[in-house]
Amino acid sequence: MGFLEERFEDNIITAKLDQILSWARSTSAWYFQFGLACCAIEMMATAASRHDLERIGMMPRSSPRQADVMIVAGTVTLKMASRVKLLYDQMADPKYVISMGSCSNSGGPYSRQGYHVLKGVDQIIPVDVYVPGCPPRPESLIEGLLKLQDKIRKERPLTKKK
Amino acid sequence: MIINQKVSDILETKFPGVVILPEEPHNDYIQIQLEKWNEIAKFIKIDSELKFDSCQCITGIDLGIEEGLEVRYNFHSMKLKHKIEIRIAIERKKPSVPSVEQVWRGADWLEREVYDMYGIRFKGHRDLRRMLLPDDWKGWPLRKDYKTPNIYNGMKVPKVRKGWD
Amino acid sequence: MYRDFGTVFLFVIIGAVLLTVALLLAKILSPSRPSKNKLSTYECGEEAEGSAWVKFNIRYYVIALVFIIFDVEVLFLFPWAVVYKDLGWLAFIEMAIFLLILIVGLIYVWRKGDLDWVKYNVKYGQGRYQNSSGKEA
Repeated sequence: MGFLEERFEDNIITAKLDQILSWARSTSAWYFQFGLACCAIEMMATAASRHDLERIGMMPRSSPRQADVMIVAGTVTLKMASRVKLLYDQMADPKYVISMGSCSNSGGPYSRQGYHVLKGVDQIIPVDVYVPGCPPRPESLIEGLLKLQDKIRKERPLTKKK
Repeated sequence: MIINQKVSDILETKFPGVVILPEEPHNDYIQIQLEKWNEIAKFIKIDSELKFDSCQCITGIDLGIEEGLEVRYNFHSMKLKHKIEIRIAIERKKPSVPSVEQVWRGADWLEREVYDMYGIRFKGHRDLRRMLLPDDWKGWPLRKDYKTPNIYNGMKVPKVRKGWD
Repeated sequence: MYRDFGTVFLFVIIGAVLLTVALLLAKILSPSRPSKNKLSTYECGEEAEGSAWVKFNIRYYVIALVFIIFDVEVLFLFPWAVVYKDLGWLAFIEMAIFLLILIVGLIYVWRKGDLDWVKYNVKYGQGRYQNSSGKEA
């Protein structure tokens, strides 16, 4: 918010406006489909018709500039890590990251012997929600996304931070 | 047994002394010397009784600190429908094998992968560079004396994170 | 008559207001934190190299051209159709002549093959000088 960000004291009007704004942001979080490995298949399955991602407002976008949420699904190798960082930087604010699957949470099955794997994507980008599983079932991913929606909804973008 | 014997015999007649015979005859592989690999490769592709026109796989093996490295080729003939494995033992210090990329074009990326993982240079390969690992990676991972680096481009690559175990 | 003008004017005003409100709201409500990496060119995560100007097919231009011409023709047809009932035979003949001229143009474009996406009377990959004796440049 160039102009209105964190300008107001805390009162009933700004609280309600905050609620509307955060609700609007949380229920239309378009995701940047960043499927790297097997978790991508589960992300595709979640976006398909049986467990629908569109019904919670998430639309897949292929470009980071049009996306709000980045779902890092799959193993992040060291070769890919610089690209992940650049793409995260190219996303527009406000942006959130979901780390899906064990490999992007903490290296996953490659955490001990994997010389080429980045042990956890939170070494390079800040993560909001971790979804465990290898790969997580679509229901798990939807729960993670609903938790992200709750987290976004708690934000107060218009009020001054104490 | 049959195809191994046949190929060994044909290779012995054409290039004497190049096949290292095993103790007991078997059909798993043929071990040959490194010297004339260029001509042997062209020969087994063209010869009418062998006609190995398809290079299925090229692998590198590290047999241990004492024994050294080895390159193994799997060939298959689409016309005569037989297959063979050829092994070449190479030294560990500066491993170098003549490239068969110009004979079988499919060997291009296979040899790049072996170079990437073992450091075996293929002489005559027109574009030998790393394939799976990042271009500025140091070391040859699949060798037995490889140590995982601690840091790469500012990112930690440790085996275990603090607090695990 | 003035009532019709008023309706159109109201449309224009509402359109302008809607557009302004949408853009202004986005401008004041969205956070703006530009950084060097954020403004860099997007190339799937790699460093961008090469020029952004690529060659595009000339077919797009041809199709746009043909569309514009016939769209303007339809634009001329609309007011004529609205008042057609009050005019006599002269208006009909005039419009018929106008349409005829444009139909000749349509037949030309049709026969030339510009309405097909893939032209069938041109051999692709051979160049149009295949029958000449000289070598290609």
